[in-house]
Amino acid sequence: MTTALLSIRQGRVTLRKTMVWCAALIVALLLTVLIAALIGSEKLPTNASACSILSVGMNPCGLTRDQLDILFQIRLPRILLAAAVGGSLATAGASYQALLRNPLAEPYLLGVSNGAAVGTMLALVFFGTFEWSRPFMAFVGSLLATFAVYRLGRGRVGATPERLILAGVIVTTLLSSVIVFVTTLMDATRIRSFTFWLLGDLSGANRRLLPLTISVAVIGTVILTLNARSLNLLMLGERDAFDLGVEVSRVRITVFLVASLLVGSSVASSGSVGYVGLVVPHLARLSLGSDNRISIPSAAILGALFVIIADTVARTIIAPRELPVGAITALIGAPLFIYLLKRD
Amino acid sequence: MTTCLLLSSLSCSTRQSQSESSAGAGLRQIVDDAGRHISIPAKVGRVVSLAPNLTEILFAVGAGNTLVGDTTYCDYPAEAKGIEKVGDTLHPSLERIIALSPQLVLVSTASQLEVFTEQLKAHNIEVFVTDPKDLEGVFRSVTQIGDIVGKTSEAKSLVDKLRERAANVESAVRPLPRVRLFYQLSAEPLYTAGHDSFVTDLINRAGGESVTASVPGAWPKYSAESALAAKPDAIILPTGGSMGEGNSMVAEALRNSPAAQRGRVYKINDDHLVRPGPRAVDGLEEMAKALHPDAFQQ
Amino acid sequence: MLEVHELTIRYADRVAVREASLSLQGGKVTALIGPNGAGKSTLLRALNGQLKPAGGSILLNKESLERFSRRAIARQITVVAQESELRFPVTVIEFVLGGRFVWANNSGWGWESEHDLEVAESVLAETELRELSGRLMSELSGGERQRAVLARALATEAPILLLDEPTANLDLSHQATLLASVRKRCDSKNAAALVVTHDINLASEFADVVVLMKAGELVQTGTTREVLTPELLEKVFDVSVLVDAHPISGVPRVTPVHETLRHFENQ
Repeated sequence: MTTALLSIRQGRVTLRKTMVWCAALIVALLLTVLIAALIGSEKLPTNASACSILSVGMNPCGLTRDQLDILFQIRLPRILLAAAVGGSLATAGASYQALLRNPLAEPYLLGVSNGAAVGTMLALVFFGTFEWSRPFMAFVGSLLATFAVYRLGRGRVGATPERLILAGVIVTTLLSSVIVFVTTLMDATRIRSFTFWLLGDLSGANRRLLPLTISVAVIGTVILTLNARSLNLLMLGERDAFDLGVEVSRVRITVFLVASLLVGSSVASSGSVGYVGLVVPHLARLSLGSDNRISIPSAAILGALFVIIADTVARTIIAPRELPVGAITALIGAPLFIYLLKRD
Repeated sequence: MTTCLLLSSLSCSTRQSQSESSAGAGLRQIVDDAGRHISIPAKVGRVVSLAPNLTEILFAVGAGNTLVGDTTYCDYPAEAKGIEKVGDTLHPSLERIIALSPQLVLVSTASQLEVFTEQLKAHNIEVFVTDPKDLEGVFRSVTQIGDIVGKTSEAKSLVDKLRERAANVESAVRPLPRVRLFYQLSAEPLYTAGHDSFVTDLINRAGGESVTASVPGAWPKYSAESALAAKPDAIILPTGGSMGEGNSMVAEALRNSPAAQRGRVYKINDDHLVRPGPRAVDGLEEMAKALHPDAFQQ
Repeated sequence: MLEVHELTIRYADRVAVREASLSLQGGKVTALIGPNGAGKSTLLRALNGQLKPAGGSILLNKESLERFSRRAIARQITVVAQESELRFPVTVIEFVLGGRFVWANNSGWGWESEHDLEVAESVLAETELRELSGRLMSELSGGERQRAVLARALATEAPILLLDEPTANLDLSHQATLLASVRKRCDSKNAAALVVTHDINLASEFADVVVLMKAGELVQTGTTREVLTPELLEKVFDVSVLVDAHPISGVPRVTPVHETLRHFENQ
């Protein structure tokens, strides 16, 4: 009996497995943050920098004022923003994929990213100096885009995942043209160029908005993880989930709202960073299985890792010039995605 | 040997007859900055300009009346605004241009119109490509354009005046130590002037030393930490012209720079700095006065 | 356990079910049979709260169904339907444990307890899937997957089972075993089952009560002998039938008589 119990239990995810795995990932994340902080277009003394970072800025460890500024005012905020953006986009992607039962669902394809981008642009035009308007309008933009996609995607039988993705592609391409149109006409210094919106850029790590972006990423991930078991059932089918006691519309609304918030806060601070919401959750599921209780938090941490690494490359590979981070995530993400598709 | 002589005399006579026929038809041959051989009438009276600097040059040599079409960005001098618009510098309308029956279209390579040039040629409209990379290139463009529109003497006197002004600036700042400066094209994201940018030449002549002068490209996106580490003693903010009022604040990374701390942040009309035209000398003077105020106490 | 009074359901502008009344009692298997489009699945879907009725009432343990939350209903009523398309890899044990969600303490989070695992293991044994518990659902045959769906429903320990064409894609050998499991559940745990099926003879063999449905109306309710008569069946299914006794079990055996068979009769 005991051996039989053991053999059956091996195929599933437990709390212990999840905790251990997430702890390991968090350690990897902290290490990556440290290493990324030691790399940049300006060479800083490694030991002194590491010493200062580990003392959380309390001890200058012999670094000059400028070196400390570079480390704590420019690099670390940027790395933390990268982590927040990566985590937000990956978690949002994982949740959309579970809810829409489609491994290809992700914020960009569903029109959510571009909706957030247009919202942020409007905030920059009308409320330029008031920074908090940006994430707020971005959130409004992504919600409106989600709503438009849902209305468009609703056929006679209801919104099937295929129709939703199709509707999402339509809304995304439409909004992309709007973005290019507006950025061509308007003064780019006010609303950023379209490469910012469509390829992402983490160099504007605004210190005032950073705490908000990080909080949203953490809280959003926690809320979505708390719905993970419902999402597991929803992944098997909306009708199945309903029959098994899931309040389908409540979970659907929660996921759409929280995911819009996550995407909105990311896009407002850094434009659209592509492929994170697509590739990272896929990787997480491939190695850990489809159970969202482990794959959602893992996707969050892996997403943070992915964007930190991509951004480190973006800001050092042609130093002192910089590439948009979205170019690197696409360069890494696209071949990776092709590989994953072939494996399936 | 004899065959060569025969052949060369043959071609010589053909050329002669060609030039005779050209002269007869009122055409002449010139070479533009892209090395292309152009055939234009001896006196060109209908011109379309596809770049704001070229429009300014035309008016400056007194040939504003030859301008039948220009771009939406052509806003100086004031008369330029009243000229028929054929579109913007990136996507001008082929139909509009053809409808104006110009004898020549002036193009600046900065607008990347190679493909467009081919299309115009297909409609038998000649295109003259200018490529002023520095101030010397501007003087050359003025001379070329003056020659094209039959304002050779006006062009010459303009170039002489501009050269004199530039020379005055340069000699005034020559004995002084160069000022290390950062040219901030935009703050967020942080863009600056690179090695291939027109303004880098102006900075040199104005007695400045751009900390990004060796960075490849014309307008590279720059690393914030490198900008901070550069510790420039002055910052140039191009603003107030076609750019509008944006870019009037120093980037975050430069807030504690020596330039910012000493208040050496200078706003200069961006049209004076990036348009390779006569006003570039205005920009040169403004920069020089900002960088070396003592040299210009009069 | 579950009582339905004069239930009317509208679906896309027409009346799908008209004033239907029936009652599901503990220990009894009720078969719901009728031609396509009769409204059988629609009626079933209303019984677990998925479709809102236009008129009439449904009482679960003497209380109106509307009063219950989704989870509360799911603890009492479970559904075995056609499997949905599986787009993500999931193992059999994970799939079956999905049935334990109704007993989770928190709404969307929580981990399976020892008891959950024991229940899962016992239903896997009941449906003969123990050896396959670690395999991916996609690796199973159609019949095995349907048994997993039943196992999941049994794992909820709900006393009322609603089954919508559960034997549709099963081999002969598995059809009987599946319904036997349902029968056993009803007998041993006093569960009530409603089975919507096309297979009249299977219904005849396993059901205590048969409900005949046509065009949204319940034509007749009663025992197999009472309902499975040639007159009633011909009226509902528009085909002549021959009803005799099953040679082994003695229950009514229904054989449709097609036109082509007529000429054998005359020989």
